[in-house]
Amino acid sequence: MRLNSSLVQTLFSSVFTFLPKLRKPRNFFLYILPFSIVLGRFIPPSYSSTLNEIGVSLVQLIAFPAIPLVLSAVMISIANIFGSETRSNSDRIRFGTRFVISLLAAILFASSLALLLSLYQSPGILSPSAKLSIGRFMLDVTDIRIGAVSTVAQVNDIWFSNLIPSNIFADASDGQTLKVITGSVIAGLAIARLRSDRTQPLLTLLRSINTISVQVLSIVLNLAPLVLICLISAAISTINAEIVVALLNFTICVFLTAIASLGISRLVFRRFTSTSERLGISVNPVDSVFLLSLSTGSSMTAYPLLFDTLTGMGRDESEVEASASLSLLIARLGNVSYNVIAILFALNLYDVSITPVRIVEVIALGAITGISAAGLTGVATVPTITVALLYFQVPAPPILVLLLAIDPILTLPRAATTGVLAMAIAVVSSYKSPSQKDFKDAATAV
Amino acid sequence: MVKSFLRLIVAFACASLLLFSPLAGIAANSPLEGISANDFVDAIQERGYLKVGLPPYNTPPAYFLEENSDELQGYDVDFARTLASKLGVDIQFDRSSTSFNNLVERVGIGDFDIAIGKLGLTYNRLFDAFPIQYLSFRHAFLANREFVASLGVEPDDPRFGEILKNSTIRIGSIKNSTWETEAKANFPNATFVGYKNWPAAKKALFQKDSVIDAIYRDTTEIKPIVYLQPDLSLEYVPILFDELIDRKSIYLSQDGRLGLKDFIDMTLRREWGGIKTDTNILDEFQSFYLPS
Repeated sequence: MRLNSSLVQTLFSSVFTFLPKLRKPRNFFLYILPFSIVLGRFIPPSYSSTLNEIGVSLVQLIAFPAIPLVLSAVMISIANIFGSETRSNSDRIRFGTRFVISLLAAILFASSLALLLSLYQSPGILSPSAKLSIGRFMLDVTDIRIGAVSTVAQVNDIWFSNLIPSNIFADASDGQTLKVITGSVIAGLAIARLRSDRTQPLLTLLRSINTISVQVLSIVLNLAPLVLICLISAAISTINAEIVVALLNFTICVFLTAIASLGISRLVFRRFTSTSERLGISVNPVDSVFLLSLSTGSSMTAYPLLFDTLTGMGRDESEVEASASLSLLIARLGNVSYNVIAILFALNLYDVSITPVRIVEVIALGAITGISAAGLTGVATVPTITVALLYFQVPAPPILVLLLAIDPILTLPRAATTGVLAMAIAVVSSYKSPSQKDFKDAATAV
Repeated sequence: MVKSFLRLIVAFACASLLLFSPLAGIAANSPLEGISANDFVDAIQERGYLKVGLPPYNTPPAYFLEENSDELQGYDVDFARTLASKLGVDIQFDRSSTSFNNLVERVGIGDFDIAIGKLGLTYNRLFDAFPIQYLSFRHAFLANREFVASLGVEPDDPRFGEILKNSTIRIGSIKNSTWETEAKANFPNATFVGYKNWPAAKKALFQKDSVIDAIYRDTTEIKPIVYLQPDLSLEYVPILFDELIDRKSIYLSQDGRLGLKDFIDMTLRREWGGIKTDTNILDEFQSFYLPS
């Protein structure tokens, strides 16, 4: 009996020593991806749904600290930034201006980059054999049934009401991330207007919640390799290889956008950080954020790394918290660029001519629908383009069916784009911590 | 002794006459004698073959002539043959009718014993002949996706059905068929364009700048189009109406209904397996609809 318990203990500890090693991005490409592909090719399709369910459950587990993390990070950072006792009005204006400008610039950059790549790569212009593969895949799937019990309409609206919080705790328990964010911003502004002796207990509690959430996230992230193995194998087992080939141009566009975003973020990081700030850094943190988001398929998992890197460089904690959490959750730049490519794919597929006016419309609708994905995760973000497709009077169901078919692959570069561009926004908008600045000034004076 | 024996015989003969003559009279004059036989079935059996009217088209896998063959095939043809074999007679098909409606009119006036061939049910046909349902097929469109998108409402939306039914959709199908009647009844604002046959209607839909937005028929005719040419799925979508059912029927004359209805009902139950749906037919003839 004792032997059994020690055996279990050894096994347990070796698994939990082994799993964090697998989380390294290099191991994702060397071991996880090939293993998952091979597993996916050999498991019978009947097992793929079980694997997928396990993967989705583990994703749910990884996502569970997200809401307390968002709630605490946004509330603390807004309270600190707008608190009259902690910083001056000019500091607030500076941060606000830089954050808004960098956010808008990033949105414009992401959508323009995606547009240029799409115009160059022309996704949606298909060969007859690709059309045949897609047609075969869509047989029976996109039929319209009238009079049948209607299925629940997929989330694709961008109503203003989605932003208005009703009860912050109820919204948090319902997983309404957007409402939690706006509720936290309003609560943070309220805290900022009160005297610090009254708000300090709550801020201490929120800080504690935030630290615990980050810790929980880093623990559950150990499961990320298992999540990826389950999800990728299930996807490989069921996904139609013909579809991936048929949509190769589209897939290439999404990956190229992610790589270009990485390049731009590296430039931004170099341009907006000083040599002294980069002194203690051995590996480019933008690369780490990119690979972490890519290998987990979730940009939110990069938040602790992003926060630790920038605060470690001496950036203001509140500004980093606010800019990182808001850009990761609200801007959703990966979705913006993805939606622009998807809209152009649809327009090409249905031979809609691309005029200058239409290009502006594509950028605007890509940005709006991409941002409307805030609060949604994974495959649930794809139907947000329906609004744009309806605007262009392009059939939405076949496009959605195709996009959903290859989404298990494209969710990875989408998350990576969001992660690296959020890092760029945080780098541009955050400033050196006043305390550190004073310390450095004093040191220079001495 | 002899006298008494003769008297006994005479008495026995008289008793026999008294006993049997009234029954014999009743039997001879009974009105049941004429009804006990099925004149309609008798006439078929005397003739030696069942006269079956078929539409003048090729509609595989229901009824069709294989290329370079004079032998009719299909599930409607098979059912008619089963019926003939149960009646113990041969079969003769007549494909000389000019349209579906003409076929129903002709069976009504007794040109054939039965008319079969995916014949739909309409009020007008009920004026001419008597139906026995054997198939239950949903109505279906193969619609241009651009037209569907132009309706401005998603197919998942519960309002989609009503908006489509009240739209100004241009529907194509075979002229003088049940689909012309159904199009006018179910889509009040639609424009119907009639074609001489089904291939002509399909060709019209797939033309560039087509004058029609959809073609209209039952599910077993619509779905095979995309099964045979999957690349069409990108531009055209099958729309299946769960509440609009085409009750495909075998038609009989008044005498035929009296004499043959129960016989056909029994054959349908025992040999055919009851009323079949479009899904049953699509599954049963999968090899036909989904060629490898």
